[in-house]
Amino acid sequence: MASKSENVRARIVKAYELDEIEKLIKDAKVAHVMLTEAPPLVDEASVLTRLSALTLRSSDGISCSCCGVGPFTTRAQQTAHYKHHWHTHNLKRKLFGRKPISLGEYTARQDESSNVSASDSEADDNPDAAATELFALATRHCKAFYSNPKGQVFCIYRCLLHHRKEEMSHDGEGHFWARRLKELLSPGFGRWAVLMVSGGHFAGCIFTGGSDAIHKTLHSYTTRRGQGMAQSTRDQTGNAPKSAGASLRRYNQEQFLAHVQNILVSWNDDLKGCSLVFYRAVGTINQAALFGKPSPLRKEDPRVRQLPFPTRRPSFKEVKRVFQTLASIEVYESLQDFQKGLLALTGGKIPSKTNSDTSVKKAQKQQAKTFDRAKSRERAPRELPTQVTSSEDEGPCYIDSETPAGWIKTLSEQSSNGIITNSRKDLLNDLNDCVITSCVDSESEKEVVEKKEEPRRKKKGNKKPEEKTLPVKKGPPKIPANVKNMWRSILDKDSTSLDTIIEAFEGDIQAACNTQDPIDGNTALHKAAIAAKPEMVTQILTAGGDPCIKNHELQTPYAATPHADTRIAFRMFQAQHPDKYNYSKSQIPGPVTPEQLEQEKERKAQQKKAKRQREKERQADKMKGNAFLLLSDDQKRKVPVQEQRCFLCGSQLPKVPFEYDGCKFCQIPCLHSHRKIRPLNKSVE
Amino acid sequence: MAVRVQFENNNEVGVFSKLTNSYCLVAIGGSENFYSVFEAELSETIPVVHVSIAGCRIIGRMTVGNKNGLLVPSSTTDTELQHIRNSLPDAVKVQRVEERLSALGNVIACNDYVALVHPDLDRDTEEILADTLDVEVFRQTVAGNVLVGSYAALSNRGGLVHPKTTIQDQDELSSLLQVPLVAGTVNRGSDVIAAGMVVNDWCAFCGLDTTSTEISVIESVFKLNDAKPTAITSTMRASLIDSMS
Repeated sequence: MASKSENVRARIVKAYELDEIEKLIKDAKVAHVMLTEAPPLVDEASVLTRLSALTLRSSDGISCSCCGVGPFTTRAQQTAHYKHHWHTHNLKRKLFGRKPISLGEYTARQDESSNVSASDSEADDNPDAAATELFALATRHCKAFYSNPKGQVFCIYRCLLHHRKEEMSHDGEGHFWARRLKELLSPGFGRWAVLMVSGGHFAGCIFTGGSDAIHKTLHSYTTRRGQGMAQSTRDQTGNAPKSAGASLRRYNQEQFLAHVQNILVSWNDDLKGCSLVFYRAVGTINQAALFGKPSPLRKEDPRVRQLPFPTRRPSFKEVKRVFQTLASIEVYESLQDFQKGLLALTGGKIPSKTNSDTSVKKAQKQQAKTFDRAKSRERAPRELPTQVTSSEDEGPCYIDSETPAGWIKTLSEQSSNGIITNSRKDLLNDLNDCVITSCVDSESEKEVVEKKEEPRRKKKGNKKPEEKTLPVKKGPPKIPANVKNMWRSILDKDSTSLDTIIEAFEGDIQAACNTQDPIDGNTALHKAAIAAKPEMVTQILTAGGDPCIKNHELQTPYAATPHADTRIAFRMFQAQHPDKYNYSKSQIPGPVTPEQLEQEKERKAQQKKAKRQREKERQADKMKGNAFLLLSDDQKRKVPVQEQRCFLCGSQLPKVPFEYDGCKFCQIPCLHSHRKIRPLNKSVE
Repeated sequence: MAVRVQFENNNEVGVFSKLTNSYCLVAIGGSENFYSVFEAELSETIPVVHVSIAGCRIIGRMTVGNKNGLLVPSSTTDTELQHIRNSLPDAVKVQRVEERLSALGNVIACNDYVALVHPDLDRDTEEILADTLDVEVFRQTVAGNVLVGSYAALSNRGGLVHPKTTIQDQDELSSLLQVPLVAGTVNRGSDVIAAGMVVNDWCAFCGLDTTSTEISVIESVFKLNDAKPTAITSTMRASLIDSMS
């Protein structure tokens, strides 16, 4: 056990230890936090006088009581104040029972911005905050708090004192609470019954003066073990199963009900003698067992009260535990102890360290069991259930034509090296290797995977040297100065032509054009395309820049350009030099000639014109419709039939319009809405 | 006129419905009794719509709205949002807000012109609120409670606030809101006003437990006795107030 100052442990007094109780509750008073004022009665006359006195005052003369500002002279001034951060700040201070601060102080604090002043003021007002918290805890608590003249504070379960439906907190002086407490000492009060029903288990016990007088437990098989849920609950969800198990459980449920009620009937006299009856029965079925027809218990009986804390499966042991818990009264020696204890108990600010080491460990153990389903779990490496392992037992494994090539490759590799991959990651690596290397040779497709003795560690090392087929890996590490120079002039904003550079170029111009930048894999053609320079593109293409080379983003120059004219430059070059490159891999959609471009342009212009015309017509139609809608219904009816439109939305009517009362509509929904707007009796004006 | 109504034996009708001047939302209940009471009173003038928010029926506490718009919490599903958009008039803007205080009905009290909000409400939400509902927003408390939406019921003609609001606070709030306010109760002494009743400019619904005294207070403060949905209260009022102030 740790030191006393840290841990507040309450002394436990049992409700059936009468002489202890008597000492304890002598002149005890209910704690202040348990009482609130009754809500003021709203008196009609006073409200009416107030209402008549109330006029909608203009804002002058009204001041902000929270900040002590005002009176305001204009509405603008008032609203500006209420929107000020300073006002919000004061509002919050008021909520925590602190004094408002002036505007100067507020701005000063904002400027200081950091912790010093804030933490000071927190410390000043701390007791106040603690008191508020205590009040909140107390009013929600399932226990009632008392203090006696010796300064002791003790807590007792509310359900021992009053029924849940009884409202006691509005009792002004707390006499009621004190009287109820005295009843604990009255003769015959010590006889309690505890009844618990849940999931086919029943446990009931009648206690007299701390020991059990009569008890009975009962179990029958009524819940579905595999899926959970009582059979009757399952049946209520529709299409009740007809299995043997289901009907067995249904039968058992009925028997259980009858049995429990028989027990209660046989206990009738004993139950009548009980001062309190506590029960735990969740759901209609369980409640029916306790309060069903032949049972002597009634739910409306003020003696019958629910258990205020969670319980485990009904058993004799559990019923005894429940009784002991109910009967225990916690006694704190002083108010400070109590405050600490309560906050610790309810998980307040003071962390609970009250228990001994073993119980803490136990709690941790329990925590370890529960895991957060909202979070994704860490992926633990697991063995793969591969065909390979199964093939160990079954002898040779034949690979058919449907097995993917990668798999075959892996398998063949393994078989030749005597390897089994033992994790998914390795397998993926292998698959990648297989994709990079060329296809599996035809022999391995029919290859038989041989039996292996035992899995061994994998050795890497027999990668095939096939990388020369990949263009990506080609680029020489060093870029010649003249190529760099060319790239620079391509990227230069002002230059539009590469003529001078290409003419003055020394060495292999074609290789220079196809040199890839090691950073992003761009060739000169890429760079020109991205820089949106159609002339340069044409020049580089003429000089031998291959339009099929892909950069690191796997884009060809054509795909990389964001510029329409540059794209056209590519296509026009293809039209002029159809055989110069293999365009099929350059992603250029096809050749185009200047004539075709011209035609395209014309077509677009015509389309645009037609669209504008249509828009105009639509606008005119809409205007007509709007003009029609402005008319009243009577006038609309008088409009010549050809010019009539939908009475609601003003659109064109179909050949046979929908009609009522001479009103015509384009669609049924229009008609409906029109009728809704104008109910029948009102439509006749 | 104030009407007494119950939602499946529960008197907290403000929890299960939302009433404004241009629409009424009603929770999907086991029986249609609740809905039909609203329908009978309102269907001539405004649409009455069945709605759920994130599959829950406590729509009155989760949403906030007035004749201009409706704010729903981020937990609202896309289907529900689509249903609301389809059912409400086109002029009503429906907007989903990401707000930590997701029970918008509890933290915001508003009429068509002014909204009182919880002091801790997000600044972004405040902006959305001002834009969507077309209101002036003030951070305030009612009788020391931050849940202004729960403890105040407002319309354009009056307001009812928590019974423990001091006279000074009532005056201050009423000058801020520009409507007369009184302190009162509903449902035989319940102080959670907005949970116990819903109100618009011409109609109010309160729990079945509401006493006749409470009803007459409600009718007088919200001026429901002579009320009809008129243009003066709804469309012309803004201009009137502008010209008067």
